[in-house]
Amino acid sequence: MKPGSIYLDNCVTSPLDQEVLDAMLPYFNQQFWYPASFVSTGEKASENIASFAKIVADSLGANPDEIHFTSGGTVANNIAIKGIANAVKGGHAIVSVVDYPDLLTNAAWLEKQGVEVTYLSADNQAKIDLQELKDAIRPDTFLFMTTAVNHVVGTIQPLKEIREILDSATQKIYFMVDAGQAYGKMHLKVDDFGIDLMSISAHKIHGPQGIGALYVRKGVRLAQLIHGVKRVDNLQTGGLSIALMAGFAKAVEITFADLDATIATLRELSDYLLEKLEAKIPHIELNGAVGEGRAPHNINVSIDYIEGESVTVMLDMKGITVATGSACASQGLKPSYVLLAMGKNHVQSHGSMKFTLNKYITKEELDYTVDTLAEITKKLRELSPLYNSLNTQEK
Amino acid sequence: MQYSQKVLDHFMHPRNVGKMENPDAVATEGSPSCGDQVTVYLKINDETKVIDDVSFLSYGCASNIATASIITDLAKGKSLEEAKNITWRDAMEALDGLPPVKVHCSVLAADTLQTAISNYEIAHGLKEVPNFGKETILEELKKIIYPQVGEDIVNLKMVKYVGFDDGNVIIDLNMLSFDSWRDNVKEEIIEHLEKYPEIKNIQINFP
Repeated sequence: MKPGSIYLDNCVTSPLDQEVLDAMLPYFNQQFWYPASFVSTGEKASENIASFAKIVADSLGANPDEIHFTSGGTVANNIAIKGIANAVKGGHAIVSVVDYPDLLTNAAWLEKQGVEVTYLSADNQAKIDLQELKDAIRPDTFLFMTTAVNHVVGTIQPLKEIREILDSATQKIYFMVDAGQAYGKMHLKVDDFGIDLMSISAHKIHGPQGIGALYVRKGVRLAQLIHGVKRVDNLQTGGLSIALMAGFAKAVEITFADLDATIATLRELSDYLLEKLEAKIPHIELNGAVGEGRAPHNINVSIDYIEGESVTVMLDMKGITVATGSACASQGLKPSYVLLAMGKNHVQSHGSMKFTLNKYITKEELDYTVDTLAEITKKLRELSPLYNSLNTQEK
Repeated sequence: MQYSQKVLDHFMHPRNVGKMENPDAVATEGSPSCGDQVTVYLKINDETKVIDDVSFLSYGCASNIATASIITDLAKGKSLEEAKNITWRDAMEALDGLPPVKVHCSVLAADTLQTAISNYEIAHGLKEVPNFGKETILEELKKIIYPQVGEDIVNLKMVKYVGFDDGNVIIDLNMLSFDSWRDNVKEEIIEHLEKYPEIKNIQINFP
């Protein structure tokens, strides 16, 4: 098998749809123009961008003028968090220990600016504790940030309940959501959850890499983070690719044409994968929420007695790409902070495997993956001193 | 792929695998919580003191398995005196190198082999249980790899001071505040030293 023949790391990025590629091409060399006044090319460009923004806005139940294209989810997160902090100049913000690195690194930045940050803990499924959130709110709290779908275990945070709690404060608390993993995987209309700021990304839904968007609720003011000439958007100034925007819009159209069907396909595939894993590999445990509590594309399991880096290397040799929470596979030699925060121990993190699916994966591919993984597990367990110290009955 | 073909070969087809029945010496180093653990078994000819057979078990990453495999290959058929000279650098060389963050795996494999040999020698009255002292600590620090470059911290002159008094160890390390490997190196040192009953307290200082 060729490298990446079966790609099960779709939470990082996903393959581009052919239709999306086709939709982008004319905007590279034909309608490549930027907006400008009193010239037909510039006016046509404005129309094009407005039509792309409308498609994205519709998917969120937002107005087109609330959509700001950015060059990706991380840029959107930075524009939002630094922008709101600089505009409001509040004293206190809240995030949780299981959030996406974008939020946590920005929280660290907030602390350097003199903002106090409360880091909420998470339960054994990576869900934040609502009572803890209530208790954390202070008169000077201006911002709450969350990752709608956890990037490691796929747990969905209780967005509606969070908004109610934020509304019970006497002051306005801005609700900032990283929806990188949630967008296109669940219904996420901004008004349903009273979201003020939300980042999304095209390449996680079969759109192109290098384009994302920030939703900014009407009336929410952000201080300017990126200064420069306005070509496309007033928040991310400078040039942005028109073709990538066209691709983003096409990917949104395809995903949201029947979102329920997309979700159902992913759910069926991940249920199938989990069922096969549990049937074919002994001593395996699901990490995170079961069923509806987790996003439909994520399965994260810990395989006892073996270490994840060696598993991913062996799967890679068979053309299968997956991710692990093992310290040995991380650049900083650290186990997954999310799994540790959930109360998992180092060994469970070292043995964790994350499979994130897309709707084009077939059951045959999942069968091949599980069969291969079962063989690898058997082989590595024969080598493992931890497994060898088990008595025959336990095995 | 950052691994050499030799590493991948020894990882996919490890030599000398499995638990040995009635070994003459055995040693286990590392711990599952650190992500790697190796056990080495030795069968030693009582008269010639040659390692007739050697096998291993490994819990860990690809390089952990590959380095344990190569170290057993290097030791097989050697006399104890010859095998005592096998170092992590020999394992690295035999594998055509390792990525810097993985060099510590070769240290673990070599360390486990040396502990097994030492256990045999002590059990057979070939040597005394070594006295614990500052030298022991220094020897352990030579096994701590700075993951950024894959070289040990003593060789890199990162160890400024080592003190040992009444069970208390004090180590001053020359690692700057923005060095992201500080915690990692600190944890490795503690892991290496806390197995000594002579040590009650470990204090590691950074500038």
